Amino acid sequence: MASVEPISQTAEAMSPSRPPVPESKTSTIKEPANEKDARMKTFHIYRWNPDEPTSKPRMQSYQLDLNKTGPMMLDALIRIKNEVDPTLTFRRSCREGICGSCAMNIDGVNTLACLCRIPTETSHQARIYPLPHTYVVKDLVPDLTQFYKQYKSIKPYLQRDTPSPDGRENRQSPTDRKKLDGLYECILCACCSTSCPSYWWNSEEYLGPAVLLQSYRWIADSRDERTAERKDALNNSMSLYRCHTILNCSRTCPKGLNPALAIAEIKKSMAFA
Amino acid sequence: MASIIRPSLLRHCRAIPTERLLSTNASTFSRAAFRSARPMSSSFPSKRPIQSALPNVHLRGSIRVAAFHASGRREILPPLPQKIQGTANDPAPVPDPSAAHGSYHWSFERLISAALIPLTIAPFAGGSLHPLMDGLFCAALVVHSHIGFESIIIDYLPQKRVPRTRALFMWGLRLGTIVVLIGLYEFETNDVGLTEAIKRIWHA
Repeated sequence: MASVEPISQTAEAMSPSRPPVPESKTSTIKEPANEKDARMKTFHIYRWNPDEPTSKPRMQSYQLDLNKTGPMMLDALIRIKNEVDPTLTFRRSCREGICGSCAMNIDGVNTLACLCRIPTETSHQARIYPLPHTYVVKDLVPDLTQFYKQYKSIKPYLQRDTPSPDGRENRQSPTDRKKLDGLYECILCACCSTSCPSYWWNSEEYLGPAVLLQSYRWIADSRDERTAERKDALNNSMSLYRCHTILNCSRTCPKGLNPALAIAEIKKSMAFA
Repeated sequence: MASIIRPSLLRHCRAIPTERLLSTNASTFSRAAFRSARPMSSSFPSKRPIQSALPNVHLRGSIRVAAFHASGRREILPPLPQKIQGTANDPAPVPDPSAAHGSYHWSFERLISAALIPLTIAPFAGGSLHPLMDGLFCAALVVHSHIGFESIIIDYLPQKRVPRTRALFMWGLRLGTIVVLIGLYEFETNDVGLTEAIKRIWHA
């Protein structure tokens, strides 16, 4: 076998007893030619570069052949970044909807790019924006500092004073565990919070659906002993009660959770108490 | 708590936009400088970049609309440059608990809203009009709308950003509520009353 390594080339040159394999006997993988039935689809993507602060944000269009692209929006974005425009910036990690990095606004809906299928009709042009009403770091990357600070403010961890009776793990009945279903699955992608008009106007004080869902996850936990304190922290006009049951949060959640229900449960548990 | 502005942001704020925006007032210029300093992404972004990709048919229509508006588009309370309170690792401040503004307020609001349903139906279903019933209905209606308007003011006039405007609107609302209450009292005692008035308008 002919090899491309330089050292073997010199070896070949030094020993003419083994002639190189002719090209007709090798198999070559050529770059695929443009197909006739290529399904070209246009993607309009929001671009803004912090290194050019004077230029306004703009939309940039890319055309991809859907036959050579994976089925999801994230596949298209990765392909654009790899093959067309390496300056395109977005967050992605797990590509299967468990990390929440690739949350963005696709065709007017906040969702995870990795869970959003590319509509196959090529007449439809996809439009991709960062999460609405967030400060943009670059292109499709939003600044979620305030979101994480609010998440930290609800103390998202188990708070107990009494040790468990047998000194082992804190036990929970299957019924109590069932109360956490639909709450613990939240991946904090911020799709729901950034879809909430109330959060758009008052993100400094209103906690937003994602953080309130997490807050309810700890209020509903039978093992937690600071339920009263947790409720007290929400008992003011801004933190919780800026929710006007618009329900954008439940509609947009890419994990199919229901933050509005969790908020309603908090309100119910705090009413007349 | 000291408020810090991220260094990258400071770098952006120094930059001055090179092009003047189409506008009739001067103050939007400085706002535009802030906006280009760090854009707030919006579900309704400026139309210009999209239109470059669309066929000319759409463009002509939008030019017609733009020509119709003489003044520049002025946003109410446009987003300010981002400010982070404390460091990125500090939790957001938790306000002091106040049930009067929180849970009691919400329960009261819901009770009033629920009570309005039977109070609205009762005089028409029952046929007889008791003045006390009418008075109760008026009071519940006024309280309900007061809470509703108050909620709008809290939503759209943030205390931190426009404290004086908010106070002005709050006092305006209180004044309005008192005037409406006095007016309804006069109407109930010296005239036919609210329910009867609606009935007469309906049958007129």
